Amino acid sequence: MSNFEKRPITLTVNGHNHELRVEPRKLLADALREDCRLTGTHVGCEHGVCGACTVLVDGKPVRSCLTYAIQMEGHEVSTIESVAVNATLSPLQQALHEEHGLQCGFCTPGIVMTFEAFLKNKPDPSDEEIRDALSGNLCRCTGYQNIVKAIQKAAEQMRRNPDYVAP
Amino acid sequence: MSPPEFHYIGQHLARKEDYRLLTGHGRYVDDIEVPGALHACFVRSPHAHARIVSIDSEAARQMPGVVAVVTGHELAQWTTRQRMAPPIEGLQAMEMDTLPIDKVRFQGDPVACVIATDRYVAEDAAEQVMVAYEVLPAVSTMWQALEPDSPRVDESLTSNLLSHQHANHGDVEARRREAHRVIESTFSQHRQTHLPIETRGCIAVWDEGRQHLTFHVGTQVPHPYRTTLASRLCLSESQVSVISPDVGGGFGQKIALYREELTVAAVARHLKRPVRWREDRLENLLASAQAREDFCRTRAAVSADGRLLGLELEIIEDFGAYSFYPGNYLARVVAMILTGPYKVQDYSYDVKVVLSNKVGNGPMRAPMAITSWVMEGTMDAIARELELDPVAVRRLNMLQPEDFPYTMATGEVLADITPRETLEGALAAIGYDDFRRRQQQARAQGVYLGLGICTVVESTTYGSRFYKAAGIPGSGHEAAWLRIEPSGAVNASVGLGATGQGYETSLAFAVAEGLGVTPQQVHLHLGHTDIAPYGMGSRGARGGTAGGGTLYLCAQEASVKVLAIGAKLLGLECSLALRLRDGRIEQMTDGEWVATGVGLADVARTAYLDPLALPAGMHPGLEFHRTYEPPPMTYSNSTHLCEVQVDVATGAIRFVRYVVAEDCGTVLSPVVVEGQQHGAIAMGLSGALFEQVYYDEAGQNLSGTLADYLVATACELPHIEILSMHTPNRATPAGIKGMAEGGVMGAIGALTNAVNDALAPFDVVVNQQPLTPMYLRDLLREKSNLTNKA
Repeated sequence: MSNFEKRPITLTVNGHNHELRVEPRKLLADALREDCRLTGTHVGCEHGVCGACTVLVDGKPVRSCLTYAIQMEGHEVSTIESVAVNATLSPLQQALHEEHGLQCGFCTPGIVMTFEAFLKNKPDPSDEEIRDALSGNLCRCTGYQNIVKAIQKAAEQMRRNPDYVAP
Repeated sequence: MSPPEFHYIGQHLARKEDYRLLTGHGRYVDDIEVPGALHACFVRSPHAHARIVSIDSEAARQMPGVVAVVTGHELAQWTTRQRMAPPIEGLQAMEMDTLPIDKVRFQGDPVACVIATDRYVAEDAAEQVMVAYEVLPAVSTMWQALEPDSPRVDESLTSNLLSHQHANHGDVEARRREAHRVIESTFSQHRQTHLPIETRGCIAVWDEGRQHLTFHVGTQVPHPYRTTLASRLCLSESQVSVISPDVGGGFGQKIALYREELTVAAVARHLKRPVRWREDRLENLLASAQAREDFCRTRAAVSADGRLLGLELEIIEDFGAYSFYPGNYLARVVAMILTGPYKVQDYSYDVKVVLSNKVGNGPMRAPMAITSWVMEGTMDAIARELELDPVAVRRLNMLQPEDFPYTMATGEVLADITPRETLEGALAAIGYDDFRRRQQQARAQGVYLGLGICTVVESTTYGSRFYKAAGIPGSGHEAAWLRIEPSGAVNASVGLGATGQGYETSLAFAVAEGLGVTPQQVHLHLGHTDIAPYGMGSRGARGGTAGGGTLYLCAQEASVKVLAIGAKLLGLECSLALRLRDGRIEQMTDGEWVATGVGLADVARTAYLDPLALPAGMHPGLEFHRTYEPPPMTYSNSTHLCEVQVDVATGAIRFVRYVVAEDCGTVLSPVVVEGQQHGAIAMGLSGALFEQVYYDEAGQNLSGTLADYLVATACELPHIEILSMHTPNRATPAGIKGMAEGGVMGAIGALTNAVNDALAPFDVVVNQQPLTPMYLRDLLREKSNLTNKA
C-alpha cells in the first residue's frame, strides 16, 4: 500500500464514531473539518504555533494541525462543538462572553479547548499561570487581557459549582 | 462640554455575535461547503527579482486529480491589468498583471496556479511546475532603492522613487535662523505584517446559466471590492455578488483585491466549476501584504526654553514591489497630521515612497502609526538636549482648550479634542512626580525604570473632502438601510465589512438610539453586496462615525414615520408628544412619559398590512435608506503612559505599568471600545518589541514562520489601565468620533520613549524598532566601549 492510498479509519469525535477513508498524511484538523464537517476547529498556521486548531485527545490539548487523523484510532477526540451542552454555554464560554474575551473569534475555539482542560487540572490558577498556559494560543484582536479575566471568572464559577462536567 | 444624554448608547451589553463564535458555529470562508469545489494552489517565485524564462507545467498536468495549471498568459486573456494612476503630483502611474508574465518582483510572487480536486493534490502538483528564472539583482533596502544605479523594480518607471511630495507651510527657514537650537532626531520603523489569525482565502462559484459570479471572501470593503473584481473580470456589477462571512481579523490586510483572489475567480469562470483557495501561513507571511517600513527625520527649531518654533519632517517609506494602493496613500497622512497636539505653524515635509523587491505595502491598523512616536520622540529630544523635563516641554507647546478649533499648518482642522486634558489625566493617574522620585531611588540601586509619554491625535473617519484635498482617490461617505418588518422586527444594514470588531453589537446601539428600540431588538446584516447598501467599508477608524452615524440618522428618519403612524393609531393630531422606548410608544402626559399601549408591531402591521389606515398621503411600508457624508476628518485623542524596567545587563524590557487616558467621543458600546483599545495597544507593543519581516541582502524573506515572525503572547503584554475621558464631537451624528487605531500609535511611542527614559543615564538613544535585547545591548556596549576608550 502506498503512502497516498486512502485507508479506512474510525475517528471517535465528541462521542460519535466516524468511519472515514483518508490518506495517512491527512491532518486531524483537515479530517475534522472536511470529513466530519466539524468546522469549529480552525487552522491558523499549520505549523503548531498559533494554537487555533487545539482539540482534546483523551482529555489533553493537542494541535490538530500537527497530528495525523490516522494516529487517532483508539483515541477520543473532543472539539469545540462538544463544549456547550444543549445550547448552554460552559462556564468558560459564558465568562468569555461576559468579559469580552473574544473579538474575531478565530482563535477562540483553540483557547476554549486549552482552558477547559487547564481548569480541570488547575481549578485555582494565578494570573501568571493563566498567561503562561495562554502563551500557546495567539490572539491578534484582544491583547489577552479580557481572556485572562474571563478564565479567572470561569475558574471561580467552577469552584463554586463543581457539578459542571467539562468535555 | 457635557456629554449628550442617551438612553441606549453607552450601555454595557455583552456582544451579540459571541454565541456562534464560542460554540464553533462561526462561519468563516473556509467553513463554507461548496459541493464539487476545486482547490487552487499557487506556484511562487523563490527569487526576489528574476525574469521568467519559461514555465513547464506538463508534469503537473499529468498528475491524477489535477484539472488545470494557469499562468499569467492565460489570465491576461481573462482579466484586465490593474492600473494605479490617480492624478497626484509627484506620483508615478503603475500597472500590474494579474499574475506576472515577464518577471517576478519578490520572493513569493505568484507565477502559476494549479487547480486540483483536493488541496493536498494541488500542493503536490505545484511542486512539479518547473519555472526557469534568470535571476536579477534585488533591491532589498530603501537606501539601495534610491541609489542612482539601483536595479529597477518596475522597468516601466523612470526610477524606484514611486512618489515624492513636499510642502512648506509658514517660513521654516526663518524659524531655523531665529532658533536657539535646531534639534535633529531620526526614527526607523521596521517592516511588519498584519497577521490576521485567519489567513486570506476565497471561493468562486460561477453560475453559467445566469452568467453570475458568487464570490465568498473575507473583506473589510465588500462593495468597493466588488466594483474592482467585476471590472477586472469585464463583468458588470450586476453579475458579481461578494459575500463576506465571519472574518478572522483583517487589520487592513483584507481590503485590496489580491491577485490570487482574482485568479481564482477568473479560473472558476473559465472552467465553469467552483474553485476555492485557502492561503497557508507561509504564504501569508511571504506574499499577502506588509506595512510600516519607514524612516523619519525631524529637525525642530526651538527656543532656549523649549518652545517649538518650526518643524521639518522627512519620510522615506519602503513600499515593496507593487502598488495595491497609491504610493502616497500611507505616508502622506503621517505628514499631514504629524504636529497633532502641538502648536506650530511653520512646518515643512518631504515624503518619498520607494519601490523594493518585497511584498507590496498596504494600510495596517494605523497606517500612520509612526506619527505619534515621531512627534513625541521629537519632544523628548528637545527635553533631552535642553535638559528640561519632558512634561514641561509638552505643556509649553501643547494646544490648550481655548485654541480649538485649531487649523494645523497643513490646513487640517482639529476640533473638539482634549489633548491637554488626557495628558494631565494620565499623569495624575500614574503619579508623575512620584515616579521621578522612584526612578531616582531605583537608579541608585542599579535598577533602570523609564516612563514614556505619548499623546496621540488620531485621524479618524476620513470624509470625501479629505480624500479630495489630500489627492488620494476615494470617497468617505457611507450608506445604510433600516427595515421594520411587519412583525416589528428591526433589520438594518450598512456598507461596512466586519472583521471581528463587534459591529453587530456596537452598530445596534446607533440604531437603537435613533429609533427607540433596545439594541437587542436590532439585527445587523453585513457583508453581502446584494443585501447591504453600497458603502465604503471598514477602514481608517470610520466604522463608528461613518457607519454608526449613518445608521443613527437613518433610524431617526424611521422614528419620525413610526411616531406619525402611532399618532394616527392613537387618534392624535400630531406625534410631537410621542416617543418610542423599547419598541413601545409613550406619550407625554402632565410632564411624564406614559405608556400608550401601542407598540412598534402595531405600527408595522398597519404600515404593511393595512396601509389604508395610514395618515393621508403616507406611503406604505417601513423601509428607509440613508447616505451620509461625514466631516473631512474627525479626531480622537489619548495620552499613553508606559512604565518599564530595562535590564541593562541583558537588554530585556519588562512592563511595570501601562495607562491610557482616551477621548474618543460618544462611545456606542463601551465593551467593544475597550476591546479595540486593548487590541490596538497590544498590536503596537507587539510590533515595537518583536514583529519583524526580515529580508536579507538578496531579498530573501527570513521570517516565513511564526517561530521567526514573533508576535507577543499573553506573557509579554502588560495589563492596560484605561481612563475614559470622552467628550462628543459637535459635528457628527450623536457626537461619535471613531477610534481603534490610536492605540497602536500611542503604544509604539510610549514604549520607545520609556526605554529612552530608562537608558538616559547611559546617554543612549533608541531610534529604531524592534526594541530587541540584542539592539539595546549593542547600543549599551558601543557606549561603554567609547567611554572606556576615552
